Amino acid sequence: MTAHEIEEYLSPMRHEFADPRSLILPALKFAQGDSGWLPAEDMAAVAEATGFSQAYVESVATFYDRLYVEPVGRRVINVCVTLSCMLRGSDEIFDHLADYLGLDGEGTTEDGMFTLAKVQCIGACDRAPCLQIDSGEQIGPLEPADATCLVDDLREQPAPARYER
Amino acid sequence: MAEHDDGLIVLTINGREVRAPKGTMLVDAAKAAGIEIPIFCYEPRLGAPIGACRMCLVEVEGMRGLQTACSTPVAPDMVVNTESEVAKDAQDGVLELLLANHPLDCPVCDKGGECPLQDRTFRFGPGRTRSLEPKLHFPKPLDLSPLVALDRERCIACFRCVRFSQEVAEDGQLTFQERGDHTEIATFSGDPYEGRFTGNTIDLCPVGALTSNPYRFVSRPWDIKNTPSVCAGCSMGCNLEITEREGDVKRLTGRPEPNMAVEEGWICDRGRWGYPALRSADRLQAPVLADAVGRRNVPLERAVTEASGLLAARGARVGILLGDAVTVETGFLACELAARVGGGTPAMVARTGIPGHGLGPMRALPGAQMDDIDGADVVLVVGGDPCTQQPVAELRIRGARRAGAQVAVIGPRPTALDASCEALRTTPGHLLDAAAVINERLQGSERAVVLWDEADLAAEPAAAEAIARVVAATPGARAIEMCADVSGPGLRALGIPAAGDLLTALEAGAIDILLTIGADPTAGPAGDRWAAAADRAGTIIEMATHRTGLTDRATLVLPMLAPLEDEGVLVSMTGRAQRLRPGAREAAGAAAAWEMIVGITHRIGSPVPDRTPAQAFRRLAEQHAAFAGLDYRVIGSEGAAVAPVPQDPGVPARGPVGDGLLVVPCAPVFGDAVAHRSDALEAVREPSRVALAPAEAERLGVRTDARVRVTTPEGTVVLPLEIDSRLHEGAVYLVMGDPASGAARLLPGDRGPVHAAVSAAAREEVGA
Repeated sequence: MTAHEIEEYLSPMRHEFADPRSLILPALKFAQGDSGWLPAEDMAAVAEATGFSQAYVESVATFYDRLYVEPVGRRVINVCVTLSCMLRGSDEIFDHLADYLGLDGEGTTEDGMFTLAKVQCIGACDRAPCLQIDSGEQIGPLEPADATCLVDDLREQPAPARYER
Repeated sequence: MAEHDDGLIVLTINGREVRAPKGTMLVDAAKAAGIEIPIFCYEPRLGAPIGACRMCLVEVEGMRGLQTACSTPVAPDMVVNTESEVAKDAQDGVLELLLANHPLDCPVCDKGGECPLQDRTFRFGPGRTRSLEPKLHFPKPLDLSPLVALDRERCIACFRCVRFSQEVAEDGQLTFQERGDHTEIATFSGDPYEGRFTGNTIDLCPVGALTSNPYRFVSRPWDIKNTPSVCAGCSMGCNLEITEREGDVKRLTGRPEPNMAVEEGWICDRGRWGYPALRSADRLQAPVLADAVGRRNVPLERAVTEASGLLAARGARVGILLGDAVTVETGFLACELAARVGGGTPAMVARTGIPGHGLGPMRALPGAQMDDIDGADVVLVVGGDPCTQQPVAELRIRGARRAGAQVAVIGPRPTALDASCEALRTTPGHLLDAAAVINERLQGSERAVVLWDEADLAAEPAAAEAIARVVAATPGARAIEMCADVSGPGLRALGIPAAGDLLTALEAGAIDILLTIGADPTAGPAGDRWAAAADRAGTIIEMATHRTGLTDRATLVLPMLAPLEDEGVLVSMTGRAQRLRPGAREAAGAAAAWEMIVGITHRIGSPVPDRTPAQAFRRLAEQHAAFAGLDYRVIGSEGAAVAPVPQDPGVPARGPVGDGLLVVPCAPVFGDAVAHRSDALEAVREPSRVALAPAEAERLGVRTDARVRVTTPEGTVVLPLEIDSRLHEGAVYLVMGDPASGAARLLPGDRGPVHAAVSAAAREEVGA
């Protein structure tokens, strides 16, 4: 991802933001679409395109959980662990998934297919316990077995053209 | 009632009537009335308050909730309570939370004992915690840079260091990463924090999160003594504080009570970490006498007696050369000594440094102090490079730009200010062309400050005259001379001339004894000529802190104290007399230069009446108009202005000497002798090098990885080459770093324009 590409992406929306700092977030999300995470070069490109320092761009990127500054898998499975989901058995869902993926808690599978993460409320308490694949629809309520079926389905799917985290 | 005729606002704090000017923040209004409101993040020098730490919460009647005293301005009839139950509760709560993840490793923390977090916890805190949760732990410490260590678990996220980096140094390197209790100070992808001012983050840190690597575990606050003094690293004259333990200088910091008219509490890393040079391997330890018996160490008393014997010899023609950073007292006493030597043949006294003929019109301009830059509407930098030569000046200039001043940097060198200010690059040797632009920029200004470089304008007297005329014609415009030599302004005020005549006299064999005081002429401009000329003097007496090119030839070597160990007055580039106070115990074999001179006059049998630098200063103030009315008490801790001295009429300017390209000399303080002697500065010191524009390098057939031969009429030196597209063609930029490289020796003694021939170095020279 080059600074030029990011600038082109930003130019139609520049007028929407009174404070130019606000451009950093859409720029980072856009840059992340390429490889699914933000290598240092991509953050440097965002810095160049937005006119802020690299350090400042990185501080924004690290503030948000869904901007990844470390490599993640092809799909990120976000398991909600906040109150409603927790009371309805999110721990079992998470542990079952970790087991199934061969992970010791949160992390990325060796084949680079999946990253399993615990997240705070994703706004679907009525469907607890629920999870979210990348930035897709919340899926729930789930039984542990549903979760592993979901993983099998995802494994069959090709890698997305652009990553929407 | 609430707003008085004097414009002060009246409010009540803790039941007391308090008056404060409009716009004052509650925390300052309370402080002025003797009421302490605890703070961590509040620091007016870092810009507008941000209310990050919540420590200063106070109760204001009629306002909902508690207010942060650091960001709430005083208002008429306001009733503030800092000690009510609600306010105390808030203070307890904030401290309890700030300490929730703080490791409380105070017994092994460098900050322990001088830590605002510790002090405020004792004074305002709850005394005990209710938290049973395990604390967060990080591996520690992390090197933020080779000089600054970061202990992440001690950080309370007050933003002071980040604001310094973003808003004062404007290097944009420090930020916070992550959030909540995982917030940590970081640079982009873990790069080292690089800059000329990084150490100030340590002074700013209100906890032990940022500490000095060279000072790590060196001493505890109850073992040390702090002495306010002045930095002798460049002509800025930054006020600093010397930390001494068991007689040794262990640390330098900015003053806790900054001198707002000089450095504002900021000091550069060269100033902060130059002190290890005091105990470098080449420091002179004991007096040396060379006579018929041989070369040997002698006691100091004996050495001083020998010196007086030599100097008193009837008919001896003596030359006294004063160096880099000698105090005005030493300069004055050297002149007193000059009248007492040679059995009635007065000695020549001279200083190393720039003659400055032709700078009269510039020096006659109304002078400014550094804080005048803050309120300026136009700031012009003419020649030089304050960012590398008088670093702390850069921070003031950046501050003026943020405050809305038009800032232009005019000269042949690229500077660190170019990215954020108007950069007008002139052709080397043609500052005269800039006069028109300067005139244009000054149009309509009311409070302009022009910072001009002594060395650059001394080399171009015609430009100095033209620029002086333009500035003088601008109402309200004032000037600051960016001096090349630390002791230059003070010694000039005493009327001591530059060393050109002394060098000529030495070369003519008209000097029998050369006495150097804190000077190494062999390492500076025309060094080779000086070395040869010194040999013509039968006797060399050297007073020096470290070994010099003269040490091995000297008949007598008298180790002298460095500025950090000495007492006296230095005059800064803004003409401010400031006091050095000794921050270390005297080294066994060494003495202060002024004291040795006094000793010599006693042994000659014509003693000066002074027993202390204070007495010498009082006498010199009586004799020299520039210092009239000053004494140590008047100078105090803030310094006092020295009156400008009339300049001697200039001598006709000369054209450049030598063949080849015009030399643009660059003298970064991070490349000076102290920086090269201080092991702490190893990672940031500047090497000597030659820099060329790409086209020029191509024309000369030299490549980046090559070393090049540089030849001027003063000699030849082989230096590494740097190719920089920001430079002008038709010039050779000579960066004078490591004194051992001999780069400075290539300049002519009068510092006038010089040409240099540059060619690829032969293979055998590259090895050398």
